[in-house]
Amino acid sequence: MDFPDDLFPTFFLPGPPGLSDSPGSYLAPAWSDYMQLLKPPQTQDPSVNPQHEASYVTKWGRWRSDSPGPLPFLRPGADPWDSELTSRDLLFRGRLRHPFGAKATIDVIDQLNQFLRDHGDIAFGPLGKLLQENFNLGEPKKSRKGRTVMNAERLLQDLGGHQPKGCPWAHLSTRQRRFSLLGGTVLGEEVEGLLGGLLHEELEGRWKELLLDEASTGGALGWVPGAKPHVGQLVYPAGRAYDQLNFQKVKLSPTSEPQALGDPTRILLRGPVRQVVTRTVQEEALVAVRSDHHCAVWKISRQGHPEPLQVLGMEKGATGISLSPHLPGELAVCSRSGAVCLWSPQNGLQQIHKDPETLVFKDPSSWRWADFTAHPRMLTVADRTGVRLTDVRGPSDCGELLFRVGAEASCQRGERILLAQYLGTSSPLSLSPTLHLICTQFSLYLLDERLPLVPMMKWTHALMSPPLLAQLLPPPRPGAPLPLLLGGLGGHLRMLHLSGGSSRSPQLAAPPQSLPSLGDSLPGFPVLEPHGQQLLQERLKAPLTGLTAVVPPRCPSPTMLLFQLSAAGDVFYQRLWLQPDTTSTNADSLQDSNSSTDHADDPELDSHDQTSALPSLDAAPDPGAASWNPRAVACCRRWLKTLLQVPQALPSWTPPTFSQRYLRWLKDEDKGKVREGLRAAMTEGRLLQQGDLGPLPPSEPPPAHEPFGPEDKLTERLEASWEGKGAIWWDSQQGGSQVPRKRQSREKRRTQLSSSFSSVRTTSDFSDVDGHHEAPSPLHRTSEASQSLELSQEPWARSVPRERRQTLRDYLAVLPPLDSGSRSTPQSQNPSSQNFPTSEQGRCSVPRSQNPRTQTLLSPHPGSSSAPCTQNPNSQSLFSPDPGFSSVFHSQNSSIQSLPSRHTPSLAGSQPLKKKPRMGF
Amino acid sequence: MDAFSEELMRSVEEDDQEKASVGCGPEIHLPWLSQHIQNTVSHGHKGINFAQTTSICLNFIQEALLKHQWQQASEFLQCYFQALEDFNSQKRQVALQNIWKLGSAILYHHPKSSVETFSAFADRMKNIGVQNYLKISLQHALYLLHKGMVEEAYRNLNQAESWRYGEMSASQEKLIKLIQAYRGLLDYYTWSKKRTELSKFDMDGFATSAATQDMHSYFRQASVNLHEIIKIPGVWDPFVKSYVEMLEFYGDQDGARQVLTDYAYDNNFPSNPNAHVYLYKFLKKEKAPEDKLISVLKILHQIVPSHKIMLEFHMLLRKSKKEEHHKLGLEVLFAVLDFSGCIENITAWRYFAKYLKQIMMEKHLDWVQEGWSSRKDWWPTFHFSYYLAKKNWKENKILALEKAFTSGILLGKGCKYFMYVSKQGHKVQEKSIKTMKKFVMKHNILDSKEL
Repeated sequence: MDFPDDLFPTFFLPGPPGLSDSPGSYLAPAWSDYMQLLKPPQTQDPSVNPQHEASYVTKWGRWRSDSPGPLPFLRPGADPWDSELTSRDLLFRGRLRHPFGAKATIDVIDQLNQFLRDHGDIAFGPLGKLLQENFNLGEPKKSRKGRTVMNAERLLQDLGGHQPKGCPWAHLSTRQRRFSLLGGTVLGEEVEGLLGGLLHEELEGRWKELLLDEASTGGALGWVPGAKPHVGQLVYPAGRAYDQLNFQKVKLSPTSEPQALGDPTRILLRGPVRQVVTRTVQEEALVAVRSDHHCAVWKISRQGHPEPLQVLGMEKGATGISLSPHLPGELAVCSRSGAVCLWSPQNGLQQIHKDPETLVFKDPSSWRWADFTAHPRMLTVADRTGVRLTDVRGPSDCGELLFRVGAEASCQRGERILLAQYLGTSSPLSLSPTLHLICTQFSLYLLDERLPLVPMMKWTHALMSPPLLAQLLPPPRPGAPLPLLLGGLGGHLRMLHLSGGSSRSPQLAAPPQSLPSLGDSLPGFPVLEPHGQQLLQERLKAPLTGLTAVVPPRCPSPTMLLFQLSAAGDVFYQRLWLQPDTTSTNADSLQDSNSSTDHADDPELDSHDQTSALPSLDAAPDPGAASWNPRAVACCRRWLKTLLQVPQALPSWTPPTFSQRYLRWLKDEDKGKVREGLRAAMTEGRLLQQGDLGPLPPSEPPPAHEPFGPEDKLTERLEASWEGKGAIWWDSQQGGSQVPRKRQSREKRRTQLSSSFSSVRTTSDFSDVDGHHEAPSPLHRTSEASQSLELSQEPWARSVPRERRQTLRDYLAVLPPLDSGSRSTPQSQNPSSQNFPTSEQGRCSVPRSQNPRTQTLLSPHPGSSSAPCTQNPNSQSLFSPDPGFSSVFHSQNSSIQSLPSRHTPSLAGSQPLKKKPRMGF
Repeated sequence: MDAFSEELMRSVEEDDQEKASVGCGPEIHLPWLSQHIQNTVSHGHKGINFAQTTSICLNFIQEALLKHQWQQASEFLQCYFQALEDFNSQKRQVALQNIWKLGSAILYHHPKSSVETFSAFADRMKNIGVQNYLKISLQHALYLLHKGMVEEAYRNLNQAESWRYGEMSASQEKLIKLIQAYRGLLDYYTWSKKRTELSKFDMDGFATSAATQDMHSYFRQASVNLHEIIKIPGVWDPFVKSYVEMLEFYGDQDGARQVLTDYAYDNNFPSNPNAHVYLYKFLKKEKAPEDKLISVLKILHQIVPSHKIMLEFHMLLRKSKKEEHHKLGLEVLFAVLDFSGCIENITAWRYFAKYLKQIMMEKHLDWVQEGWSSRKDWWPTFHFSYYLAKKNWKENKILALEKAFTSGILLGKGCKYFMYVSKQGHKVQEKSIKTMKKFVMKHNILDSKEL
């Protein structure tokens, strides 16, 4: 391979980052980004051969978009999306004294306040239990020797079933006040000390995540080219929990819009998909997926069907995955423990690097990243402080640094690596195959692995969000510079043009360009009423979590299709053309205007000249700017229509309308029901309702009043509802002809869930909403793999606000297993059918968390394994027809519990609760 | 008073920055942090202060630049000048640098801008802040060089070099050296022009000696400056090249060799492959002994095993009389073919096939096995897969034949690649395939192992 024989002169001074007068920072590559376009002076006289090369624009043209913003490609998912946390939710909202000395204070007080108000039961429950023996709460007389028992009956009477906690202005009796004064300090300290610390920790974690969400590094949108050049597949996560991996066939055409072919193939996983990597090596297309604690690989068959290869469990959490561009089926995976492994489904795992400490200097981040290099046996291992080249065959601690956050690259203080990507190209003529892209929060560096530590190029990207996505594209024309796409999490897109064949150092061939983001599409949508407008706006502002560009085959002029995936699960696309620069009369005529007489042709530009002293915002409209054409508007309108049909997300939290006081007085048989109700509600992730907890204890009706008339319906109704029979009264009023509506809707929801159980299936995009009682597909019934996967998905996660999913998962992990078997058919879930086979009652279900062999694909809690990256053939190869393995599932399937005879079906097992439920923050 | 209040402001700011780093957890500095805080704070109240308008304006300029709307950007830049009125001296400095950075970018691309405009802007900016003088001068000179205006650039560099303002900081001293080095480079350009003139025209004695004198003075000017910069660690390819060329011309071979050796072997310098290549080329021109050349390339082989000069290195080793060099020659080829960029390098494959044949004949099987042992688990898929056999046969039959031969030796006659190519080749080149097959039957490392 050629090495550029004339490198740009630069100082090389090792040192810590942020040396304000590091001489490197004065040099052209570092100091002035735009001046970088200057070529380094060659060792031949520049006056002999002045570099009057045609600029990029005149030589190659300009990338232009069809529409001012990306257009929706797929219809919005059936799940509502609640927008992310913002800094406003987390930070103290007082006025700052010095608004520019950035000061972030996490608002724990407000959160704690809310929590105590909403979940007093949880906060004070344990203490209450401890003190319970010393208080008499109205039970039959209890007294124990040597113990003071206080009578709290009067206190409870004062409370009278009210919940003063929901109302700050509630009346307080003297007794209550006295009690709160005496007990307040004790109760408060307890809560503050234990809860406050935890809450602060949690909020701080959230705040860090908001500032830098490293989970989505690399992006979760991939493109797999098909056997025919004009057909391919988009691979992306869908669903509220991002746990559904979709393979959508797409037909490309040289001139018209891309078309989604049929419905996507869906695979339900047991964890959110964070990163999708696709690669075709020697005609073998592979898709690698990273979840929080698992990595998995699929092979795409020639017909385009995904075939699972292997799953890898990572106890400490996975941070990065990449596929080898050289050898089919070879991957590099990184774990939070600091381990980097080479992984191939055939040969298993090989640890090539393990160091809990960071490479260059100490940094608290446990983020690790690995990618391949031009040598198939060398890997780059990156963390926040540096990138190292490591030989797979050598000992793990050898290897040299490729990049270091320091003075060599004139890094700033506090600069950290956010992305390290190998930019290997298949055509070495266009760009050297030894280049690596390194992005920090400030700049972008290009490094050649043959000349470590000295960046070949540096550009300050000035993105206001972490640049976590990058893709290098083939040259649009032979010899033309290569477009490099850079995407920030906030949706900002940049396109750079890299030139310099294998014998020249890489350079920017043209000033970088910004591309429209999803937010720019807003004007393409019809104006809605404020509520809808806000919904749309939030949706379009969702973080960018995936980016992939595809070059359609046989285009008359160079074209690329840019697909974008947002955190709301929306896939948008945009078509970019490299148009010859005929329209830019602007540039050409102006260039001439210095010397020639072109002025008369351009009155508009002349006027600019005169008014240039005055800033005018709408000056110089880009002549080539695209406008919204009717087809684009119609496309947006269609998408919006579907979006507005999606039911709204539930409000993230409303205080419960029941009091735990009722739980205490329940009889033992009722308690079981309550627990089941609780569990059912949690499983479905919905709000706990009064109906779930059984009838209210009979309380005295309010004093009767004079009836308003002979047929006082209002009074009747009030009375009925006071006794908890409001619904029955309503039914009787309706003549009993209608099935209670509530029940109907519940049924509907349940069948939706059950219909989405099958793992590998193809249904229409919206069948989750429309096609209820659809029969399970044949694949669903026959395939062992799909059956095992069936259990692996967690439907409850779909309707739970994202911020509470983890808590719920933690909670459910300690619960006895759900009886998933009873869900496999929609009928068994029908709440009205209560004749369940009772013969199987005796069979005991296998708790999922206790059997390591039932560890399935992407489970939230992998079984405890000693190594950070374990590869357990039993637990991972769930796709192989392992008889022992499937039998475990059968035993789980067949164990159907008897259901209580309430309206709400309970899917819970009979084991007692192990832990107090903690809903909340 | 002013200085005092600035001091006060700075201390306040530093305090706040510390707090910010506590609040956001890790010590990582995120540029979007202040935006998040602004969002929280400014929600609901409308007043926009000076600093906010300035940063909004900066954003507008950057956006316009990214959309290549140079005119618009220049108009926004006029509004940005208010940033120079900031109370905080540090912020004023940053604003100054921003104005230079953005302004030069706009003027570089603006269709209406000319060299004169750019120069006027640069001259203006140079004199605003003391700290920026040298940097802007250098950038300005580079710009002029890019436009082919060497004399202007030279004058500029000269001016910058003679500039003095109080005591210079260490970095400014280095920068001055860099400026001098660029000036030296320009002197070298003149020198080399004069040299070609001198060689082209036959002049009488007097004119020749005058011209030689003139040339020599350029050499002296250039060499002083270039010599200085080369001592500082860095990547100085153009400087080293031109300096060595001049030294060579005046017959100072030892000096030139010393410069190149220092440039290649000084540990403070980055491991620049070019430094070794320059040294090798110099020694080769000097007709240095082969051992010397081999030792230079040996180091380059360790740093960049994929360098194209490695094929030359291989030939050198092959010609050598030492057996260890012959062994290294094989290892060099193995290493070259490891790289994805050299997969289809037909020369490398031809050398490899030929050399393998030679080695097998010489019965140095252990060498092949040694090189093969670390590659046997991945070379078959990397080089000799069925897919590649089909592809290579379709695209380049000669390459396919070379590869098939090596695959036969390394993997035996049962290898997919070998089988495919020999089957396909049988129809076309029956004779050569037959000889190849015969050789592979006799010599391959698989069968030899069994023996």
